Amino acid sequence: MPEKIDFSKVSFLIVESNPLSAQLVRDILNALGATAIRMADSVERARKMLRRDPVDVIITEYHLSPENGLALIDWVRNDSESSDRMIPIIMLTANSEEDYVVRARDMGVTEFLAKPFNVEGLYRRLVAVITRPRAFVSADSYFGPDRRRRQVPFRGSDRRSTDD
Amino acid sequence: MARRAKIIPPRADLKKKAVNFTTGLDLRLTPELVRRLEKVVHDSRDRFTKDIGERLAVMRRQLLEGSTDPEEQRALVLRVYESSLEIKGAGGTIGYDLLTQIGKSLNDFVYGLAGLDAKQTRVVGLHIDALYVVLANRITGRGGVIESAIVQAFGEARRKFRGGEGDEEHDDDEERGRA
Repeated sequence: MPEKIDFSKVSFLIVESNPLSAQLVRDILNALGATAIRMADSVERARKMLRRDPVDVIITEYHLSPENGLALIDWVRNDSESSDRMIPIIMLTANSEEDYVVRARDMGVTEFLAKPFNVEGLYRRLVAVITRPRAFVSADSYFGPDRRRRQVPFRGSDRRSTDD
Repeated sequence: MARRAKIIPPRADLKKKAVNFTTGLDLRLTPELVRRLEKVVHDSRDRFTKDIGERLAVMRRQLLEGSTDPEEQRALVLRVYESSLEIKGAGGTIGYDLLTQIGKSLNDFVYGLAGLDAKQTRVVGLHIDALYVVLANRITGRGGVIESAIVQAFGEARRKFRGGEGDEEHDDDEERGRA
């Protein structure tokens, strides 16, 4: 029997300053069966909500004011007040150039989805963060999901000495 | 001395909570679910086009006012930057890929500017006109040969009227549109 995902068991926080975009993501989550959905239009409001009542998944825009989405990721991953440093975070943003992706990744984002987006892309990422949780790395300068996503086979000759 | 990186195994609590064999949705999208989700997006289309129309009207009005006050110029560039970013993000989501292309072109054009000289004002105005045309004629998708030529021409205008800075797509975040 194939596995199923029950979105009614998952709580979400959408952090987005454009009310239309926030509502669209909310409507999509509702259509998937999610009911526990909260929305914040700034990083500060998101922090307040998370301190009061943690969620299972955060979906955040990059372009927020006065603080941007990276500040939220930084707070979740590194601040002592963060209620859960390992919450999956999906960044959904029109700031889609490579540099933004790299910065978000290095701050500890779990998944990145560029706007304009399609429903398949969003669904895949939601399923990924819930069903395929990633290992985390805790180091001096980084706390977040393991950034190694691909297993690339080594093609050269084996130069390691044997153990015996 | 730097400590060694510690690997924390994946946490399974969320998966345990949400994944089962009886209730919910298939992990793989079914055509029926895609249709249902696309309907949600489609239903939002009018709200987005109305919002984009209003943003264009405000940008055009501020552009026509043509204030030379540095603070107002900065505010104008910031508004154009933010509105064009929203248009870039929303256009393709609701099926208007051409809005995304022109919105991105406009966003790249104003990125990092502190104000607009006469020629830059004209280029911004042309972007706004083109966005209006796409909306008014409900040109979904990427359009045709003419639309493609227009997008290309905007790219050339960016290279010419940004004095070379616009050759590369912007990659800075904090000061975008706020220089």
